[in-house]
Amino acid sequence: MAMRWSWSRLSLNQKLAAGALTLGLLALFARPNRGNVITLDVKELATIIDKEGDHVTAGELGGWIVAGHADYRLIDLRSEKEYAEYHIPTAENVTLTALPDAPLLANEKIVLYSEGGIHASQAWMLLRAKGFKNAYTLKGGLDQWKEDILFPTLAENATPQERARFERAAALAKFFGGSPQAGGTQTVAAKMPEMPKVEAPAAAAGATSTPPKKKKEGC
Amino acid sequence: MATTTPDLARPAERDAVHVAAAQAYMNPYLAGIGLGLVLLAAFVTMGRGLGASGAFSALVAWALHSVAPAYVASNEFLSPYIGDGSTHPLKAWLVFEVMGVFAGALLSGLLAGRVVRTIEKGPRVSNAVRLSLAFAGGMLMAIGAHLARGCTSGQALTGGALLNAGSWAFMMCVFGGAYAVAWLLRGEWK
Amino acid sequence: MEMSAPFFKYGLFGDEASLLVAFAIGIGFGFFLERAGFGSARKLVAQFYLTDLAVFKVMFTAIVTAMLGVTYLAWMGVLDLSLVYLVPTYWVPQVVGGLLLGAGFVIGGYCPGTSMAAVATGRIDGLVYALGIGAGTLAFAGLFPVLRGLYLAGSAGAQTLPQLFHLPYGLVVFAVVLMALAGFYGAGLVEAHFGARGERS
Repeated sequence: MAMRWSWSRLSLNQKLAAGALTLGLLALFARPNRGNVITLDVKELATIIDKEGDHVTAGELGGWIVAGHADYRLIDLRSEKEYAEYHIPTAENVTLTALPDAPLLANEKIVLYSEGGIHASQAWMLLRAKGFKNAYTLKGGLDQWKEDILFPTLAENATPQERARFERAAALAKFFGGSPQAGGTQTVAAKMPEMPKVEAPAAAAGATSTPPKKKKEGC
Repeated sequence: MATTTPDLARPAERDAVHVAAAQAYMNPYLAGIGLGLVLLAAFVTMGRGLGASGAFSALVAWALHSVAPAYVASNEFLSPYIGDGSTHPLKAWLVFEVMGVFAGALLSGLLAGRVVRTIEKGPRVSNAVRLSLAFAGGMLMAIGAHLARGCTSGQALTGGALLNAGSWAFMMCVFGGAYAVAWLLRGEWK
Repeated sequence: MEMSAPFFKYGLFGDEASLLVAFAIGIGFGFFLERAGFGSARKLVAQFYLTDLAVFKVMFTAIVTAMLGVTYLAWMGVLDLSLVYLVPTYWVPQVVGGLLLGAGFVIGGYCPGTSMAAVATGRIDGLVYALGIGAGTLAFAGLFPVLRGLYLAGSAGAQTLPQLFHLPYGLVVFAVVLMALAGFYGAGLVEAHFGARGERS
């Protein structure tokens, strides 16, 4: 056969080139999966939500920030204006519409938050649908963050146990530039204390709007 | 089927006196396929590519941390290599990979009789000048690699294979920068 | 086929085992670097004097091989490309860094990876070069407050060429293969012209 005759006369390099060309031509039809194939395991999701495995609490998040963890990405889903007014230290601003194109990695630990938590939950669903297995929401959203972390309250008739817990919460609140509300019976909603300035929290040192989180995977 | 020996046996470096007794280098395309398969293995097993300069950063961060911990902790570039102290800074993927590079190169060099204590340079340049330039080149390379977030392995090879946009721009610039200064430095090599 | 790669990110092995994998992969990397002659600065810089284009040939063969492998494995659904780490693109520092690195390559004779191969095969200049990398890393860290703006300029996120040019992935793969083959053919002509014996693809 003419084909075999000519093939055997090719040098090794020419054979390699022919092989590469064939594979390259075939690759024209390739549709490599880059996370666009949606596989939603509805039961798995329902179980996660039911077991509350889909969120972190304000206390947990605060602990990570204080400890300087860098293994998560905190996403603020609110508008740029709201983000500029206040955001949780280390947070990046990605609005809900920008989320599908945001440069997030499917294996990163991602914590989403919005004002209340509904938007965050919806964004969580979007990310899960895109195959992000490590996405979480901040339980109760920014409202809960304010209540638990920035402005913890202590009732007048608190037990010593509650007092001890409040002492710890108060230290955390000061770290984040908030103000603990001791002895007051008023709720946060009734009397809104002043929000900390964005750059005020001690934790924000070195963690400005573009946190230089080192990806250790790089060269 | 044609035999592959003529390609492999061809002397790759005619005028390299110092490797006179050594075997010829491998066919560059076969070596490239080997290197590509190693890179592919890294993608498939780890989900990441190869690297080298990051290992140097970890080593420098660790060494400096043992003499000036406060400086390293306050340095935005070095502090991530130390981390939160839960793991040893040298217990890093790239550090182990680069130790492997050393072992693999030694193995290949021994098999081919190419392990020679020598200084690579052109015939017209002194050892002192060559070593000074090696040091300066290393410094410049390090600054460039850290700016670009990777060196020839981490950016050009790895990013090239993944069609990473920034890596391709980087690769073009590496060749551009090298050709731009090559003529000035011909005395070092020719 | 069940998607199960990258193995590490699917939890098939842990952190400790990943270090062993790192060492094994490094051995392969170093072995082929040395096989190709990249433990020798003269072999490497010959690329820039056009007498021996092995650097170009090896590098682009490796890129094409790994690129085709990744494309086919992702096509078959074995490898999840979204889990393979992409260094984020920052245009300005990557252009500037590339130029500096290219200059450093010719001045020093190596790049970080090949300098390890040089040290392993007894090259004293390779060792001095590696020390230079250490010094450069220190200098970069010291200058980081000044260089921070440059370091973060032109951020474009994790971005691939197909995304950038809005082209199908397979088409870019094919274009790279064609470009490489044309380059290899051209490399043979260049080598023939500039003295060293050439190898045509």
